Amino acid sequence: MIGHSRRFVFTVALLAALGGCYEPPEVTLYEPGVYKGTTDPLLEKLRSGERQSQLLERFKTVQTDR
Amino acid sequence: MARMKFLCDAERCIECNGCVVACKNENEVPWGINRRRVITLEDGLPGEKSISVACMHCTDAPCAAVCPVDCFYTTADGIVLHDKDLCIGCGYCFYACPFGAPQYPQREAFGVRGKMDKCTFCAGGPLPDNSDAEYEKYGANRIAQGKLPLCAEMCSTKALLAGDGDVVADIYRQRILKRGGRPKTWGWETAYPEGEA
Repeated sequence: MIGHSRRFVFTVALLAALGGCYEPPEVTLYEPGVYKGTTDPLLEKLRSGERQSQLLERFKTVQTDR
Repeated sequence: MARMKFLCDAERCIECNGCVVACKNENEVPWGINRRRVITLEDGLPGEKSISVACMHCTDAPCAAVCPVDCFYTTADGIVLHDKDLCIGCGYCFYACPFGAPQYPQREAFGVRGKMDKCTFCAGGPLPDNSDAEYEKYGANRIAQGKLPLCAEMCSTKALLAGDGDVVADIYRQRILKRGGRPKTWGWETAYPEGEA
């Protein structure tokens, strides 16, 4: 009985240890000059002329010589 | 399309370090890292000049050219940003950058480098705009809010300008015309005085 429970505990511990060693199989292969990170949502916003004019207006309001 | 640029007018900079403080405060920059610094030339001598330096968001950024994991990307208006999840903290960008812009937190023993940190032109990073995660990792995203970098916006003497390079250049050109010349603190004539070249 004791032998069975020991074997059970050992098996559970072994499975837990092996599970802890798991690594996701996806590998990022780098290519020179190619960005493979997360896409920045700001990139799309900055392409719009509306944001550009907003930033220009901000510049004129805050930073021009007085 | 605009190209976002910084310009520091050495004739106006009074070395108040307000830009450094504003940057640290706005972006919660950790202790030991300065995204922006004020450099003084000929300190204490007559004619000393100061300039505020951070990432200059180069058009052909050498940091991006040497990055082995290509963690850099450039926005449509020329802001150079990077993904800290890709960065391996190798330090190549620090050696490549002529301005010493890339910084590394040293939280561990034996000089182990953390992920690179640098000026983002207050444009955050590749995470949802103005999210807590973005703020924690990259700092404020003022560009997404329609604002420009705080260091330049709060500069009391308007020495530091940040915005569309064409507009910034126009302002500087008008100042130079009014002054009747450019500063001689650096440049070809200073590096190679007549008769010594």
